[in-house]
Amino acid sequence: MDSTIIDTDVLVIGGGGAGFRAAIEARAQGVKVVLASKGPLARSGASPMAGADFTLDGKSLHELGFPGDPNDSYEKFFSDIVTQGFYLNNQKMIDQYIRGAKSGLKDLLDWGLKVIFSEQRAIFTSGTGIMDAMLKRAREVGVQLLEDVMVIDLLTKDGKVVGALALEIGSGKLIRFRTKAVVVASGGWHKAYFPTTGMRDLSGEGIAMAHRAGADIGNMEFITFACNIPLSPPLWRGSIVTYIIFTLCGGELTNSQGEAFLKKYDPYVVETACFMEWNKSILSWASAREVRDGKGSPNGGVYLGIGDQSWEEYELKALQFFGSWKYKAMDLSEMARTLREGRLIEVGPAVEYFDGGITVNERFETPVEGLFAAGECTMGMFGANRICSAITEMVVQGTDAGRHAGEYAKKEISSPEPDAETFAAMEDQAIRPLERGEGIRPAPLRKEIQVMAHKHLGPIRTAESLKDFMRFLETVQSEKLPDLAAGSSGRSYNKEWVEALELPNMVHLLQMAAKSALFRTESRGVHYREDYPTTNNEDWCWESRVTKQGDSYDIRKEPLTVTSATPLKDSLPYLEMVRKMMEAHSEIGGHH
Amino acid sequence: MSTKMITAKVFRYNPSVDQEPYYQSYQVPLDPGMTAMDILDHIYEKLDGTLAYYDHAACALGICAKCLGKVNGKGGLLCQILVDGDVVLDPVNQDRVIKDLVVGH
Repeated sequence: MDSTIIDTDVLVIGGGGAGFRAAIEARAQGVKVVLASKGPLARSGASPMAGADFTLDGKSLHELGFPGDPNDSYEKFFSDIVTQGFYLNNQKMIDQYIRGAKSGLKDLLDWGLKVIFSEQRAIFTSGTGIMDAMLKRAREVGVQLLEDVMVIDLLTKDGKVVGALALEIGSGKLIRFRTKAVVVASGGWHKAYFPTTGMRDLSGEGIAMAHRAGADIGNMEFITFACNIPLSPPLWRGSIVTYIIFTLCGGELTNSQGEAFLKKYDPYVVETACFMEWNKSILSWASAREVRDGKGSPNGGVYLGIGDQSWEEYELKALQFFGSWKYKAMDLSEMARTLREGRLIEVGPAVEYFDGGITVNERFETPVEGLFAAGECTMGMFGANRICSAITEMVVQGTDAGRHAGEYAKKEISSPEPDAETFAAMEDQAIRPLERGEGIRPAPLRKEIQVMAHKHLGPIRTAESLKDFMRFLETVQSEKLPDLAAGSSGRSYNKEWVEALELPNMVHLLQMAAKSALFRTESRGVHYREDYPTTNNEDWCWESRVTKQGDSYDIRKEPLTVTSATPLKDSLPYLEMVRKMMEAHSEIGGHH
Repeated sequence: MSTKMITAKVFRYNPSVDQEPYYQSYQVPLDPGMTAMDILDHIYEKLDGTLAYYDHAACALGICAKCLGKVNGKGGLLCQILVDGDVVLDPVNQDRVIKDLVVGH
């Protein structure tokens, strides 16, 4: 089957908010832009799944015509993001985030975004609303949009990115992209985990292909788990609805012995964690501890109920967000009945956001010329713990990455031609799982990996468990990945073929994350080491970086990017450091 | 939690190979709260990896709306329709089938 050839100036990989925003801005530079969305247009990646909040400083929000908080400032917001991130943030990125947020939100409002409600530092809208506004805008400015197209790998020449190979999933045709610049905006890699809150297309090939092409990745050990995610029944599994309900209405978490286990922790920490988005790190950690101690639910979680509140009070708060107990196409009436009748819902931590990723400079460039990255697939913005919104991150980073990529492509008049032989070799490799016939089926292996990832690289880690996991992944890599085979050789919508192409990327990122988690012998933010339960500022105010060296990967400490907030020197037990970071928050109210 | 075995009859058609569409039956253990999508996931992961339904970029939570199909003749999102016994799964439109339950534009 012949491949299709598509020539462009800028190729954007990723159909979430960062990708769309980058494509729109690259197009504004007057160059040709193609966006490859792995799934449905504006319904791909994590963005449409978001609740969604857009955070910015209260003063800017006030200036946009919302109440916000006129007493807020750049400095207060900056300081809060740094302490929430345990000082591991890239401070130049925080600066870019705060400075870009106001105009980023204004653009979205101009493009028709509807706001549900707002508070001091955030507006609340829906992920689908954001994506619909961006899709409309991208069409208006003439971005070429491709749906159900999975980019498999990048092609470089003389240190520059010059092309990419992709699969059109519906037809099974391969596409050769020839391009001057690439923006990777591929989001997280939720599919490496079970359970997950993410869309099924998030398998991390963007980060993995950038790493293979020569970009660095870092802070891979920092993985955020949303708390209070339903684990059963299957109909609700992975939904953020109960997470949102708990944030709005409160409630009670109990273990299998009926103990309200949050009561054993510092009440100040618990109260802050329940109200603010500290919930993800702290409640996930506390829930995982119950499971570890043998007090978990059948599916590895805990139980959520309304506690001692009256149902009337509880429902009133919930209905602000879930009018008539519906969320998108999900009917929540059975969930409401369960809570009203005082029954409990089985909930637990599920993977939600990846704080680490591709390292980029202030122009969102990687060391590979012409290769840019934006959004969740990059590292640094939120340091060790994300409280503020990843929606803002995708908008501001997408905007700047797109502009720089567009400017670069415009100046790059004589870009090297990608070699046809290289493309042909990549195609041969890509179709191997189709032609292998007998071999290892991808789906059961993927499921086994997902369950292992949650167990060993979840909210609580130990050296022993990480080493077990790394041995498992090594065996998978050497003995199973080379034999992945699709049961049918038909090309159109071949799920096993797609999964055979995805799996090596997920295994690679899990290996890098496990290696990084083992390397960081301390506990900080969302990385908790049972065997090193102290936040060690003397030795660990460093980023972790993984660089490709020939066929292996070297891990090292890299200095933090600091502009104004000097990292702390003292070390404290994990929860005491959490309290200290919480107490450092400015007087500005709200969930952020 | 009680598990019972059900029969799932699934529409199969690969236009480049098959002369005619046909149904294939699978025995699936049914737990309470399983949707049509959960049935398909079970078949694909444990029984037959060649089965196609739109899920490579599905949310399974009623948001992306790409898993449109028919359950016992009634249309809807496969990820939001609960299954409580033997079930027949069809594509939303038989004339536009790319493979099995996946339809083109």
